[in-house]
Amino acid sequence: MRYDVTCKQAGLSALFDLKGPQADLWGWAGDHLPPMPARPNSLTRRGGRSLYHIGPRHLLLRTGIAEEEALERALGPAAAPPQISIVRISDTLTFFAVTGRDADQVMAIACPLDLHPAVFGADAVSHTEAFGLKAMVLRCEGGFECAVEQSHGDMMQDYLNRALT
Amino acid sequence: MRERLPQGGRIDRSRRVAFTFNGRVYDGYHGDTLASALLAHGVRLTARSFKYHRPRGIVGYGVEEPASLVELLGADASGNEPITTVRIRDGLRAKSVNCWPSLRFDIGGVNQLFARVLPAGFYYKTFKWPDWQLFEPMIRRAAGLARAPTQPPANGHYEARHAHADVFIAGAGPAGLMAALVAGRAGKRVFLADEGTEAGGGLLTRRLRIEDRPAMEWVADAVAELAAMEHVTHLQNASVWAYREHNLMMVTERSPDHDSLLERSWRVRAGRVICATGAIERLLVFPGNDRPGVMLASAAQAYVNRWAVRPGRRAVVFTNNNSAYAVAADMQAAGIEIAAIVDARPQVPPEALAQVAGIDVLGGHVVVRTRGRMSLRSIAISPLAGGATRSIACDLLAHSGGWNPAVHLFSQSRGSLRYDETLAAFVPDIPAQATASVGAAAGLMTLPEVLTSAAATGGDVPRAHEAAYAIAPLWRVQAAGKAFLDIQNDVTVADVQLALREGYDNIEHVKRYTTGGMGIDQGKTGNINIIGTVAQQKGLTLPEVGSTTFRSPYAPVSFGAVGGLRTGEVQFPYRHTPITEWNREQGAVMYEAGARWQRPGYFPQPGESFQETVNRECGAVREAVGVYDGSPLGTFELKGRDTGRFLDFLYTNKMANLKPGHGRYGLMLTDDGLILDDGVALRLDDYRWILSTSTGHADAVNQQMEKLLQTEFPDWQVMVTAVTSQWNNATVCGPRAREVMEALGTDINLDNAAFPFMTFRDGTVAGLPTRVVRVSFTGELSYEINVAPRHMRKLWDRVMAAGAPFGIQPVGSEANHVLRVEKGFLSLGHEVDGTVDPHDLGMGWIMSAKKSDYLGKRAVALRRAADKPRRELVGLLPDDPNAQIPEGAPLTPGGRKEATEGLVTACVWSGVNNRWVALALLVNGRTRQGETVHVRLRDEVIAARVTAPVFYDPGGQRLRS
Repeated sequence: MRYDVTCKQAGLSALFDLKGPQADLWGWAGDHLPPMPARPNSLTRRGGRSLYHIGPRHLLLRTGIAEEEALERALGPAAAPPQISIVRISDTLTFFAVTGRDADQVMAIACPLDLHPAVFGADAVSHTEAFGLKAMVLRCEGGFECAVEQSHGDMMQDYLNRALT
Repeated sequence: MRERLPQGGRIDRSRRVAFTFNGRVYDGYHGDTLASALLAHGVRLTARSFKYHRPRGIVGYGVEEPASLVELLGADASGNEPITTVRIRDGLRAKSVNCWPSLRFDIGGVNQLFARVLPAGFYYKTFKWPDWQLFEPMIRRAAGLARAPTQPPANGHYEARHAHADVFIAGAGPAGLMAALVAGRAGKRVFLADEGTEAGGGLLTRRLRIEDRPAMEWVADAVAELAAMEHVTHLQNASVWAYREHNLMMVTERSPDHDSLLERSWRVRAGRVICATGAIERLLVFPGNDRPGVMLASAAQAYVNRWAVRPGRRAVVFTNNNSAYAVAADMQAAGIEIAAIVDARPQVPPEALAQVAGIDVLGGHVVVRTRGRMSLRSIAISPLAGGATRSIACDLLAHSGGWNPAVHLFSQSRGSLRYDETLAAFVPDIPAQATASVGAAAGLMTLPEVLTSAAATGGDVPRAHEAAYAIAPLWRVQAAGKAFLDIQNDVTVADVQLALREGYDNIEHVKRYTTGGMGIDQGKTGNINIIGTVAQQKGLTLPEVGSTTFRSPYAPVSFGAVGGLRTGEVQFPYRHTPITEWNREQGAVMYEAGARWQRPGYFPQPGESFQETVNRECGAVREAVGVYDGSPLGTFELKGRDTGRFLDFLYTNKMANLKPGHGRYGLMLTDDGLILDDGVALRLDDYRWILSTSTGHADAVNQQMEKLLQTEFPDWQVMVTAVTSQWNNATVCGPRAREVMEALGTDINLDNAAFPFMTFRDGTVAGLPTRVVRVSFTGELSYEINVAPRHMRKLWDRVMAAGAPFGIQPVGSEANHVLRVEKGFLSLGHEVDGTVDPHDLGMGWIMSAKKSDYLGKRAVALRRAADKPRRELVGLLPDDPNAQIPEGAPLTPGGRKEATEGLVTACVWSGVNNRWVALALLVNGRTRQGETVHVRLRDEVIAARVTAPVFYDPGGQRLRS
């Protein structure tokens, strides 16, 4: 193997797409959310849940898949007021964990984003590209997580295999 | 290695290397290039020229080499490598390009006899109507250089990688190293790349001192210090070949640190770029300046000092500047006899003379001729002002026309250049990006100046000394004979003069007409001489003539390095559904069917032809039941108080009045009133909607919605979430579809009255949470069973099992195509070809007359007001029911060779009609039903009757059943 890394396709996470004004989102679902990230392209965590600030008035809520049904009931997408949107999108993204000593080198092959720790810290999350595919990148224990649209999962795996062999 | 010096050089004499050149085995040392190793064996003839097949030798020592290109064979297969950049290794096989049957006896050399009929612009004058095609193949074979490899490398991969830096430095000569030390010591993230195999740049080839030590000791210390800095990336054997927008630098690393990597391409985004690219020596232009044995002075110096090779035994140095004097001194020190220094300047500066005590210096003289068939034997010189010639026997002529700052990268960054009269060269002027040029690249030609400029941002400047640089430009020697301005492309002074006479007097036109400055070396050694020649000929100054555009790549780059991992199956993106693996297991023929989705085209069974397979799949849907994977259809969830009126603007028909639980078919237009997409809108509740779009235009629809919401209606409360990958679907279709649904088990009431066409229900099917939609693309009773992808494979397996008693068949996109043509349903890319509006397709009914406005409404109205004939959708029935019409075939009046009156958009074998049926766009087609029209093909004309564009269940009873 060319690089000292482990690339692992992760199982499903419970994911909810949240859109709308912050006050309205917190007014409706604040009890179920980690604190609002301080700045765009950053995340917060609390109680096993993560909140990603990935766009203007656009957040992703992530937690374990076992919590999906209960969390959806709590968030109440159908009953939510019209000014906010809550959509379950757990299946839309496939996450890959790239970890190990050379994780940054493999990510440099995949991704044009500057992932240097001075620029892309532990609380960073951002949409970018991975091997030319739209992707979301964040740090994880020992490396990076990279999520691509689920239908691109096989191709992402294909690319990672090529990068490593 | 008879010309190898007994000591010195930066080669490893303990490691001998055997290689093959033109079929003969040679040896050299680790650290040799192909050029230095051949010179060490006294090989002088290494190439034949591009056009005239003139004998050529080695002119330079690096990427500037204009004369000798080689083709690498075997595992290294590669074409047009400058001989000076190929590192030898055991087993290397190389051969000269553009010669046959051998380098020494090259049939193409006969071209020299026909030089008069091969002038500048030869191609433009030759490749003309009416007979160019007769001789083009022959000329193409005779011209050109190496052949491209026919196979990919047997082993290894290419890789492309991104990087980021505060400071990017191109070049690791004294300037680049100094700049890197300054930036690195300041804690900056530094990316330093250099094309040489080791750092040092010009210091590698010259005998200079820094801090009273050999300069290379300072280089070694600098490299070690940089290596100890974690925030510094230092690459050698890495060409910086392009400078793009926003300080994006392209680098190719030729010896990456992994054995399995052939090359690595870097895309480096930098806050600041420092061009420390040095300078390139240029040719002097005199008759016979291309003969083997005529070499750039800097190259002769490099072979002596860096590779410990004598490029000749008795040399003459011809120059117009001071730099060649150090070369003469170094050659003399290496035991080469210096017959004379011929200096075009009448007054040679004393600091130059001081370097060559004891050598005969002929000021105010020029070389007017060279002699020697395959290698230099003597030269003739005369006074610059004219007078008697004198012959000097020699086997090496080292010449220097001065130095050009290597401004290529700076110029690629769109920085402007200015002409420096003192240097007689173009130098960087006003930068267009965050960039600076330092050292020789900025026109600073002595080592103290180089180090001082590179350390400009801070730090101590090491002490160094070098004699001053001075030059008197000499653009060409006035003498009879072929004098080459561009050695690689065989461009002579006479060619440029001819181009000017023929009216090509802009320097860019001269370049294109003569090909001067094009090719592998991009005119590194000769461009300015062309500019100087044009200036002299036209009576202009060089700034008035200007320079040609510097383009990337600076040095040859292999396509593999640019592509990186993007080869084979991943060359283009592909998308899979959870059923992809099942499809493959069933032997489906898979291919892309829009938006990069890999879909099954058809599911052949053993012994079946393509048509038999499609007929079987269609028959199942029409007579029993089929199922297809509709997951790639675009799906979006919209939410917000203004969603209804937004959809009313987006679609041509009314959507806001749709009731929850219902769906409606709609068309979306572009701003200019043409069809963008068709699809179905489903209303979930008061504020939530689902949009289903075509597969191919899902992204375009998403962009359209975001564009409208962000630019036209920023105050509207509508939020769009793409959920294409949250919903997969298996669509069960056919007269027995309801029975299959019942067999699957569901809590949804399937009764037609309770669950009619164009409605949807949430519930469970086969024990899985689903949303079932009653839409139909096949014209049959259909249930689109939507599930989360995690359930899709289970759903599919259960559908196949439940459907088996009813004869269910998986249906590919080919059968889907047939079924939709029979129904006359439109297809993007077929009937919707970017020219049609809804009226053309007979869908005027979908253009709401009640809505005050919607996207494209006014454009359609304006176009319709012109009242010009339009191509309209019709059906065609070939007179011969067994006649297939190729899709895209033109319709012409009577099948004659006249302007087309339409085209066939689709033609399929219709099992239910037992004949071929077609759809077409025909001028004024709707009023021509019953007419016979003609399809004009290359070898036949097919007559067909115009019909309504529907061949099956025109009332739509089956899909509503």
